[in-house]
Amino acid sequence: MGEFFIHAKDLWYSYEENDRKMPVLRGISIDIRQGEYVAILGHNGSGKSTFAKLLNGILEPEAGALTVADIDLASPELSDDDIFKLRRVVGMVFQNPDNQLVATIVEDDVAFGPENLGVPSAEIRQRVDEALATVGMSAYAKHEPHRLSGGQKQRVAIAGLIAMRPSCMIFDESTAMLDPAGRREVIQTFEKLNREQGITVLTITHYMNEAARADRVIVIDDGRVLADGTPYEIFADPGRLISAGLDVPQCTSLIHALRGEGVKLEGEPITPEECADLICRALEEKKNGNAHA
Amino acid sequence: MATLTLENISYVYGPRTPFEIKALDDVSLTVREGSVTGIIGHTGSGKSTLVQLLNGLEKPTHGKVMLDGVDIWEKPREIGKIRFRVGLVMQYPEYQLFEETIRADIAFGPKNMRLSEEEIAYRVKEAADFVGLDPLLLDKSPFDLSGGQKRRAAIAGVMAMKPEVLVLDEPAAGLDPQGRDTILNGIRSYGKKTGSTVIIVSHSMEDMATYCDDIVVMANGKVRLSGTRDEVFAHAKELTEVGLDVPQITRLALLLEERGVCLPGGIYTVEAALKALKPLFQ
Amino acid sequence: MKNIALGQYYPAQSPIHRLDARIKVILAILYIVCTFLCKSALGFAVLALSAILLILLSRVPLRTVFRAIRPILFIMMFTAVFNLFLTRGEGDPLWAWTVTPKWTMQIFEEGIYSAVFMVIRIVVLILGTSIFLTYTTTPIALTDAIESLLSPLRIIRLPVHEFAMMMSIALRFIPTLMEETTKIMNAQKARGVDFAHGSLIKRAKALVPILIPLFVSSFRRADELATAMECRCYRGGKGRTKMRVPHLRFGDFLSVFLMLAFGTGLVLLNYYGFGYRM
Repeated sequence: MGEFFIHAKDLWYSYEENDRKMPVLRGISIDIRQGEYVAILGHNGSGKSTFAKLLNGILEPEAGALTVADIDLASPELSDDDIFKLRRVVGMVFQNPDNQLVATIVEDDVAFGPENLGVPSAEIRQRVDEALATVGMSAYAKHEPHRLSGGQKQRVAIAGLIAMRPSCMIFDESTAMLDPAGRREVIQTFEKLNREQGITVLTITHYMNEAARADRVIVIDDGRVLADGTPYEIFADPGRLISAGLDVPQCTSLIHALRGEGVKLEGEPITPEECADLICRALEEKKNGNAHA
Repeated sequence: MATLTLENISYVYGPRTPFEIKALDDVSLTVREGSVTGIIGHTGSGKSTLVQLLNGLEKPTHGKVMLDGVDIWEKPREIGKIRFRVGLVMQYPEYQLFEETIRADIAFGPKNMRLSEEEIAYRVKEAADFVGLDPLLLDKSPFDLSGGQKRRAAIAGVMAMKPEVLVLDEPAAGLDPQGRDTILNGIRSYGKKTGSTVIIVSHSMEDMATYCDDIVVMANGKVRLSGTRDEVFAHAKELTEVGLDVPQITRLALLLEERGVCLPGGIYTVEAALKALKPLFQ
Repeated sequence: MKNIALGQYYPAQSPIHRLDARIKVILAILYIVCTFLCKSALGFAVLALSAILLILLSRVPLRTVFRAIRPILFIMMFTAVFNLFLTRGEGDPLWAWTVTPKWTMQIFEEGIYSAVFMVIRIVVLILGTSIFLTYTTTPIALTDAIESLLSPLRIIRLPVHEFAMMMSIALRFIPTLMEETTKIMNAQKARGVDFAHGSLIKRAKALVPILIPLFVSSFRRADELATAMECRCYRGGKGRTKMRVPHLRFGDFLSVFLMLAFGTGLVLLNYYGFGYRM
């Protein structure tokens, strides 16, 4: 394996609309290492989903270089077998939880992927049981998918990928149609996979608090990379996020507003806990300062 | 323009079967005339059932839904008229679009009301205006629009009936921040400009805090809290107990309180937090 | 809406539930043949008894079972009346009524037998297939069984796997689409569509705002599902394995043996049985 699991350089992609080319990706360059937990952030139409679809061969790049898991996706000699190989290592969970489950019984659905790969029957059984346990859905193995909640359906979809033993999972707005509880279930599941099994996780989202949990955030706007860094680096510049049509976490806004009022605050808190720490520390220092004076 | 009152509403799914589920349990509620009221709760808290009772899609097992003091089920044959007075926008309403053009689709409701051609044309324009839909898009097919635009068109289709009460189930679900703000602003301006009562069902406490005057919190088929935004957020702790996600800034305020920083209760906006914290640093 | 039952599968633990689905398909076919082998009064009595025995063995409540007959009640009565009046016997008619000089309605002994036999045959036919195929076998197991039984036809390039996949996807999405239909109907009702009143044409017209969104959404679902399936490395039946490999057990062989014995018995009864014979 090369240095990067995903290597995209100056990547272009256009949709055809009324015989006119509408560029969606305008020269994106992103490198991602095996085992990273990356959030790709952008408003609707920014190109973030298109980028995801290039990564497992749903779309073909128009120009530029793209290598995923040592498979050259920009190569003109790319064969169906290459795509097949790619998809067994790069799994994808989509937005609508209903439209990705195939079977009428949960465990049969989880078995679908390994069955396609031609895994021997006894091993499929074992993989399915393991995968369901990993996502905490063992108790639902015999249930019908349509009776599950949105979050549960997405977890079944994740189990279906785990059973294929991928090294990377892409979540293409997989939490957008879920309620807060379902969203939490899905996020906790993929964070566990990243932590415990070292699976590379790419989550495509427009929810700020989701992106804030990742190790690295890439902001995409107008088909280009606008910012790339740790959440702390990204949220240090609220103006940039707003210009990209995104929200700024309320705590970040507050800290920046307080700074605007001349309050000295060091650091970039993201969670309310960090923010409370920072404010308490600053108040403490102020008290001490006053006492000295 | 109209007051909506619920009197001891209960609703049971599959009564007298093994699947019997009590979705609503003795809910009483008055929605303030002309207000934007948010209903918030978990999946399964009964809020989606409640919504379908408001315009008579479902009939309560017990209790009454009163519109201006009259039971909407008083004349069951005329429930259709109630549906024009209480407009309902369902979840993911873009999937109900079916006409060849957006204009025709928005006009569908008013046409069913048998309004005159001129009135319909006027209302279509007005409704498109409320949701910020470009007039150039009106003659396009729904299939040529983006997801957010379709959502707006579908909401306009109900607004064009000029309901006295407009009920929306998760109008911003799945939209990005810009799309969400456009739609919620449009809905609020519809309520304020026409004087109609607006009811928004949502999971997002942050949206509620930004766009609603009154808030109703539901849990397990019952009303847990209700009142103005300030009144409800004064009980921020109770909200977290029900397991609802309070706005981040409210959580910060609660955390600071725990650590002995004295703040006034009911903080739910960055501005309020700034106002409360600034003096402490001076 | 989430509780709609697909097909009429009745979950229970019974010897018939435990049989392999492929065997049940074969048993159902054999049982149908048996009903046609039967020609004697005693044979029909045995046949009726066997149906009752099957129901008891399957542990499906009687009321549930007879629900399968309700839709064909009319056809049954029609067949019975038809046989009763139109069967000509060798002896004197038991009853006759001259309607017009040219047309006399007559009932012969043979007619009564024939009507009773026909009714028994239809009831047993329906009950037998429902017990084997719908009440004790899940739709998905049935699909798999049919795929497996038809798999030799792949040699003549019949798309057996694709057919089974289509069936199973249909089964998966029927509840989803039904839920969606209710949702769209409610959305259009909220815009003033009236499905319950008005003339037939008016009501048919009211379906347009339901059907179009339903079609659009089905196509979108199909498209998304196809992408999701491809992303899970689906390439048709080639090179595919299965998690469930059904193993035939002693009970499966025994059941087929019993059914064959039963059929042979019926044939023998035709020759050696007592009473009326067709």
